[in-house]
Amino acid sequence: MSLAYLKEAVEAGDSEKLIRYVRLHFGDGDEAAGKQEIDKAWIEALKLLLDVPETNREFVEKTVAETDATTLAHLYFRLHFYFVARSGEWIHDGRI
Amino acid sequence: MDVYNKEKQLRPGLWETVNERYPGSMITKRDFIPLARLKKPLPESRLTFVSTAGVQPKNTLPFDTAHPIGDYTFRPVPSRSKPASLEIHQLKYPTIGAEKDLNVIFPIERFQELAAEKIIGGLTTNFFSFIGYNMDAERLERTLAEEIADAVEAEKPDVALLAPA
Repeated sequence: MSLAYLKEAVEAGDSEKLIRYVRLHFGDGDEAAGKQEIDKAWIEALKLLLDVPETNREFVEKTVAETDATTLAHLYFRLHFYFVARSGEWIHDGRI
Repeated sequence: MDVYNKEKQLRPGLWETVNERYPGSMITKRDFIPLARLKKPLPESRLTFVSTAGVQPKNTLPFDTAHPIGDYTFRPVPSRSKPASLEIHQLKYPTIGAEKDLNVIFPIERFQELAAEKIIGGLTTNFFSFIGYNMDAERLERTLAEEIADAVEAEKPDVALLAPA
């Protein structure tokens, strides 16, 4: 989808078009695969926290509080691929 | 196990449905773009190479394949590089063949051979690489394309070979 297409969707409040784009991005053009990929990343993140390991909360809170929203949004997309790669089930044709 | 290394990557039919899956993504350009004619014979011409393969020297900032709107930067790739010193950061085309032999997508050793054999006059110091997953066509044209054009011109090539991945 072109940027103009996405901006029109934002303007029209068309969430379906926007989330479809996210799924297509994560699924390399396959919306159903992208939905599974999003689930996969969240499952991988959840698994890491099940035993309530010690984490660096100061880092987390400081990062969220002191980093601009656009960088955090970028990080959010990057973390998706981090957790997908960590799961060991990589569907993409290339590497991040 | 290297999570990125898989034996089976190709997905038949993917590109036949690209416009259905990515509405509005097909960029059309109506401007007439004249092809330049060679001003010198090839054995006297210095060649540069511009590729969307996402090839870059190891230890340089990876192309941003996570960003949903794309990466509008390019990397100079020294034309004397050995494939072992280069790597690919790109999600949108099958790289399995290129991981085995980079020349299938970024034929740097073939160019080096052509220069050594004097079939072409030589190579510019750098080649240029970027990724093709860019949703903002205007930004692509206004920034990345202009910056690459400037970088190419600075190398004073006689021939520029452009190759999509």
